[in-house]
Amino acid sequence: MHRYVFILMVLFFSSVNAQEEKMTISEIKSFKILIKEVANNTNTITADFVQIKHLDFLTNDIETVGKMAFKTPNWVKWEYTNPYVYSVIFKDNLILINDGGTKSDVKISSSKLFKKLNDLIVKSVTGDMFDEDNFKISYYKEDARYKVIFASKDKKLASLIETFVIHFKKETGAVMEVKMIEPSQDFTKIVFTNRIENTKLNDEVFTN
Amino acid sequence: MRYLPISILFLLITSCSLQTTKNLIVIDASKIEVENPYFSNTNTDYVYKAKIDIYGKNFGGILIIKKTEDNSHRVVFMTEFGNKLFDFLFENDRVIKNFIIEELDKKFIVNTLQNDFKLLVSQKNKVASQYDSGQEDIYKTIDDKQFNFYFINKKSSILDKIVSTSKTKEKVEVLFSNIESEIANTILIHHKNIKLNIALEIFKKD
Repeated sequence: MHRYVFILMVLFFSSVNAQEEKMTISEIKSFKILIKEVANNTNTITADFVQIKHLDFLTNDIETVGKMAFKTPNWVKWEYTNPYVYSVIFKDNLILINDGGTKSDVKISSSKLFKKLNDLIVKSVTGDMFDEDNFKISYYKEDARYKVIFASKDKKLASLIETFVIHFKKETGAVMEVKMIEPSQDFTKIVFTNRIENTKLNDEVFTN
Repeated sequence: MRYLPISILFLLITSCSLQTTKNLIVIDASKIEVENPYFSNTNTDYVYKAKIDIYGKNFGGILIIKKTEDNSHRVVFMTEFGNKLFDFLFENDRVIKNFIIEELDKKFIVNTLQNDFKLLVSQKNKVASQYDSGQEDIYKTIDDKQFNFYFINKKSSILDKIVSTSKTKEKVEVLFSNIESEIANTILIHHKNIKLNIALEIFKKD
């Protein structure tokens, strides 16, 4: 009897493993080319998102929803719509914040941390985070998507976010999900839906 | 002329006396403990949108409070993006700093934050004396070198306000409003000695 349970367990776990496999060197190469092509051919992106914050001591995860807009070279509008209204625009060397009507702006050059944050947000939206100097990167493939794990090499960044896990759609290379895991294993997960590329976005979208 | 020293003395005495208890009548304490019910349920995640105004600069964030055990509360503050800025554990009279970002890890900031949030979450507090304002019962408690005054509305039996003071000056005022089944939907933490205000609004999904 025990033997059957054991065999069942082995089958179960091996089938789980079968869903996620390491990518081969040539697969990584063509995947990187795909991402680069997507980045080069994408002038604008709009998407809806759900942000899930997991803290181990809470009964429920905290969910916020909103909309995102991106325009080349590196303008991003990140807008929460529920349960509160709050938007941040990353534009050139400025961060424009509208906190439910209270407006403020931060010069990025004045804060290294903000600059890093800005770079990471822009890069994770387009998926262009393949920076071997700052991250130890590992590549996996699943049924319909690629999963890439970026482990922070920079000590300061690693003390805030240990790893970024980004899921890409296999056919299009579009970012589907970004998960940021803290050293405590608490995490923030952002899931994108209704992604539309290369629609016309006026500059006014990126004003407060 | 001979009234001058008396007037000066009178001025000194009145200016040194605490504003909080001005015009209040001291009465016999009617209970041993005064309770702050707003963070008392271990099954509730208390999640607030926070707006901080410090010396005219505005910051936003999310404040999370959870009663984890009988005498302990976890207080976490993070940015809207979910990046933790600090994580404190208040346990009995102790405060444990689980995490704080380097930029905020300054003695003055940490002390101010810990003081404010201890005042906010401290549930059962031993009454030292009691006052009457007509509309409110006011309970004075002692926490080390500071006094905390709990204002309870006589009609509604609701805790409206906590004022924290030194011997002579009001330091922090916490205002609770929009109360629904022991949850304060709106909270204002107003500092009187530094230009720091924290406005909290509970998360409500449409």
